Amino acid sequence: MFAKLNRILFTLFVLVYTNNLLAHHVLGRPSYSLGEDSTTPPSMQVETQIGKYFVTYMVFPAFPKAGQNGRVNLYATHMNTGKAFDGVVTFRVKDDKWFGDTNKETLGKQKIDDGVYRQGFVFSHDGDYIISAFFVADGEPYNIDFPLQVGQSSSIGPVSLAVISILVLLVVVNIVQRKRMLRGKIQSAAREKS
Amino acid sequence: MTMTHPGLPALWVNLIWFFMIFVSVWVLIARVPERAEHKHLLMNVIPVLGRLVRILNASPWPLQIIKLLMVGVFLLIIYAGLQGTQIPERNLATVMTWNLWWAGLVIAVFFTGSAWCAICPWDALATWLVRRRLWRRVIPNNSLNIKVPKWMRNVWPALLMFMALTWFELGVGVTNDPYATALLALLMLVMAIAALSIFENKAFCHYICPVGRTVGYYAQLAPVELRPVNTDICEKCTTLECYHGSETIEPCPTHLVMGTLKQNTFCTSCGNCVQSCPDKNVSWHLRSQSVEVRQDARPHWDEAWFMLGLLTLTSFHGITMLPFWYEGISQFGSWIGDSGKLLTSFSLGMTFIMFAPIAVYALLVLWAKKWMGDHARFTQVFSVLAFVSLPLAFSYHIAHNLNHLVRESTDLISLFSNPLGTGTQPLSMMEKHERHLNMIISQDMLFWLQAGLMLFGFWLAMQVIRYRGYALFAEKKLWVIPIIIFAVAIHGFDLWILSQPMTMRM
Repeated sequence: MFAKLNRILFTLFVLVYTNNLLAHHVLGRPSYSLGEDSTTPPSMQVETQIGKYFVTYMVFPAFPKAGQNGRVNLYATHMNTGKAFDGVVTFRVKDDKWFGDTNKETLGKQKIDDGVYRQGFVFSHDGDYIISAFFVADGEPYNIDFPLQVGQSSSIGPVSLAVISILVLLVVVNIVQRKRMLRGKIQSAAREKS
Repeated sequence: MTMTHPGLPALWVNLIWFFMIFVSVWVLIARVPERAEHKHLLMNVIPVLGRLVRILNASPWPLQIIKLLMVGVFLLIIYAGLQGTQIPERNLATVMTWNLWWAGLVIAVFFTGSAWCAICPWDALATWLVRRRLWRRVIPNNSLNIKVPKWMRNVWPALLMFMALTWFELGVGVTNDPYATALLALLMLVMAIAALSIFENKAFCHYICPVGRTVGYYAQLAPVELRPVNTDICEKCTTLECYHGSETIEPCPTHLVMGTLKQNTFCTSCGNCVQSCPDKNVSWHLRSQSVEVRQDARPHWDEAWFMLGLLTLTSFHGITMLPFWYEGISQFGSWIGDSGKLLTSFSLGMTFIMFAPIAVYALLVLWAKKWMGDHARFTQVFSVLAFVSLPLAFSYHIAHNLNHLVRESTDLISLFSNPLGTGTQPLSMMEKHERHLNMIISQDMLFWLQAGLMLFGFWLAMQVIRYRGYALFAEKKLWVIPIIIFAVAIHGFDLWILSQPMTMRM
């Protein structure tokens, strides 16, 4: 009986403590959340701050796959007034890669709908992409880039880089070491002769 | 919505404040202590524990088996981070690294000193790859054996690395990113291998590794030490196998001579000295936790900065987990025109919080020095009294980490049965509440432990002032007042952070 009461009281205590809290996000880092009352897949949300606007964008589903319909929801509110931005937002996409062709393709131009900008997408190939949301407010251009991974990402990049750097290092050290030993042998042989 | 952990109750906070004031006054009126004798107890003779020590001392294999296990987990972490789900609370990489290892490591130092370094997977992998042996000494050792440049033979590189780690952890948000966690682990591995390939001995462990140096300094407060069984044998020793190594055993990785060893700071607990000593004269001992920090450890300018950096960056960790931190940084960011992740604002905030208390400390040292006249140099007073910061940082660090470890505990069986988190969903609010309810220990017990640690830390800090301060100030008691003010202010601030609701890591 007491154990049950304790549990209820503690739950209430935790609920009270967690009720009025700000989200603990690292700005610009994704956080994942699950719809409590639905069986739908999780969504990914990123909060960021740019110029005079707080921008939140939500990607649904959090881990889209090639050929699957997805959606980006974007919210932009003025930091001082709290008023939602109500102009036009242009969504573009490009490949997220360091080298090669990174031409942007326009996904669509969206008007505000119930305080939200909604942009649908379907990617035909798995890969890493950058989605850009562009708008102009008070004569200032705003461009928000965020990465989107479609399907399974390739981890070959960092692993290969690490393995190659380790191998190169070990081989170079080995060559230098062998040269040193050879030089040592030659020098000691020369000393013995003289 | 994000969950927070309740802070330390006001009753505990008030009690600790009362204790702090009481002890501070007592320090000023109590008699000046004499140098204490360094007493220790050989662990080999203690029941149960002694058996474990004897097994570890008998052969290098038990340690190698643990190393193999650690390397296995390390590689699994990298694989999970790169290939697994990016939901941080479901991926082994983030949960194991930040919730269990990083939080538990400091707590482990409290009991086992620098034992972590002995089983560190970065060093194990680097040694295996460079030396191409599991443990036996190899001559030549496949390294360029270049002497570490004089400008690098200090802990400044480790301090910079510790700052960088904090920046990545809290600014970039690596703790919530399995992929970035794996990349960071890989980067550390590449650095460990590079240092071992280029420099003689283990320069990475000695001067660069932020984890190793943190563990090393905190190990000054550990109740265990690796020391000679009989110092007379060391005095007569002319071969110094502990330093040079033997035919089969590697030399000490950090250039330590067992016969003169007085502090744990640079001992990596690797056990080479235990294995190489022909007289089997090295073993583990139990000792007082305060003896090293209050009298045995030698002061150095760079090490003083590292200890003070530990203190301020530990408090900084706590500050960033308070709800107001992001509001403040956000406002500051808009004020200076920062965008995106607000990394400029974060970096400025971190720099200020790190260096402002050190500047205050320097001013208080200057005040104390002015009071005492030309009795000692500023750098000497600064370095000697910086030991005060070690118990303050250590006690708060453990108290803070206990929150993570106890309240954010994870079902290890399900985590290891699905390390990549395949097909998992983010934690629902119900699951988060369940985590709060299913704590490893009760909440009351947690508060007891946290309060006990804060009392213990302050008590040790005051012992440092009594032993080191009075020795430095020629027993003039009032001259230590500025340093007491510093200790009370910093510990009081940490106590305040601990009493605030703290946001859950993931």
